[in-house]
Amino acid sequence: MEYHHASEMNGAVEDYLKMSKHNGWCRDEKESKNAADEDKLPHIEKAYTTILSELGEDVDREGLLRTPLRAAKAMQFLTKGYKETVQDILNEAIFDENHEEMVIVKDIDLFSLCEHHLVPFFGKAHIAYLPNKKVVGLSKLARIVEIYSRRLQVQERLTKQIASAISEALEASGVAVVIEAVHMCMVMRGVQKMNASTVTSVMLGTFN
Amino acid sequence: MEPRKHTQVSPGEKKDGGDSSSVLNGHFDGPVKRPAGGAGGTGTGTVRAAAPQPPGAESDPHRPAASSVMESWREERTRSVEDNEMSLPSIAAAYTTILRGLGEDPQRQGLLKTPWRAATAMQFFTKGYQETIIDVLNDAIFDEDHDEMVIVKDIDMFSMCEHHLVPIFGRVHIGYLPNKRVLGLSKLARIVEIYSRRLQVQERLTKQIAVAITEALQPTGVGVVIEATHMCMVMRGVQKMNSKTVTSTMLGVFREDPKTRDEFLRLIRS
Repeated sequence: MEYHHASEMNGAVEDYLKMSKHNGWCRDEKESKNAADEDKLPHIEKAYTTILSELGEDVDREGLLRTPLRAAKAMQFLTKGYKETVQDILNEAIFDENHEEMVIVKDIDLFSLCEHHLVPFFGKAHIAYLPNKKVVGLSKLARIVEIYSRRLQVQERLTKQIASAISEALEASGVAVVIEAVHMCMVMRGVQKMNASTVTSVMLGTFN
Repeated sequence: MEPRKHTQVSPGEKKDGGDSSSVLNGHFDGPVKRPAGGAGGTGTGTVRAAAPQPPGAESDPHRPAASSVMESWREERTRSVEDNEMSLPSIAAAYTTILRGLGEDPQRQGLLKTPWRAATAMQFFTKGYQETIIDVLNDAIFDEDHDEMVIVKDIDMFSMCEHHLVPIFGRVHIGYLPNKRVLGLSKLARIVEIYSRRLQVQERLTKQIAVAITEALQPTGVGVVIEATHMCMVMRGVQKMNSKTVTSTMLGVFREDPKTRDEFLRLIRS
């Protein structure tokens, strides 16, 4: 668990700017990114065909005929967060509101991919912030979770990225993010513990 | 267990001549209709009978298609442990390509060994291809004068969707009516493991488990119900978090006698 003092929040924000290297892309660049996705698709497809045949499967059987394409598209969907930026989704949904009490959005379903095994982990995110004259549209908190979770992730980093993004965007007095997730890499393989879940949290500003 | 009321064997069907063909005969010769008022659903999903054509089955109704299904599971192993080691580098290279294709940097610290880990993980998720029923069952079939229903329920199951290569997970409930031979209980779970650790379709998985048990034990009847969550529906596509898919296969007396089937379904529900 990492704790940040208020004076260190700037440091966390700089980290966040470095981590999300896709900050600030404009709409044209995004469209060309979508085209680049289409270009990459055949390569990913071919890689999946190799994987299937090396696993001992018959790639020509009916059920697997289009699987490389489907799996490639699924993987692109599951990592679509790389193409999205916080600026794009937050754009107009920050409002001036004289509210200084805690705002919590909890039980946000979250699905991500473990960057170590490329296997899903999923759970819930709970976000709280103390506004400082600015509140954000509630769904935008969930959209921020989506941006960062639809990537190859480590749960600790995911939690911090969400917290940093919110505090940067809102300049809030405090931000807290708690994520509780089940990692399929622990459940389906390895130690195979069905009921274990992992909880990570980041507390910024006055939450600290 | 309360006395069972199922012992209405139809005339001409011998109870102790139970070879697998009598259990399966006529049940795989083409699309089979479930009797009306069949399996009662658990209320959380759609219950569908698993009745696709088995591989190699012919449409001739007089030929018991069951034999081709029997043979197929005996011969099934498609890879060995040595194959695994030899194919690991190419699977890892494929994963590196995928990482690059997704726009990630395979050289960054968190991803350095990911292709190898992912390749090993994928081989683990498909380890069912290395195993055969014969290996697993070898000595655990016992002669026992027991003819009441035996149920093993809530067997955790993890599989991979063959269409999207994302996980499927859920629970399997198995019931069978022994015919003088019982099976070690963990072997039922091992049969589930063999067939689930593959690229699967839930309907086929259900049937493979039922057929394997039938062939191994020649019981009077077998019922298998699987209730699972498909990540391909939850994480992508329609994105329905709480949906579950339920499939079932009922063979032998479980299919023919509604009371037996009812008893089974009631017992797995509680």
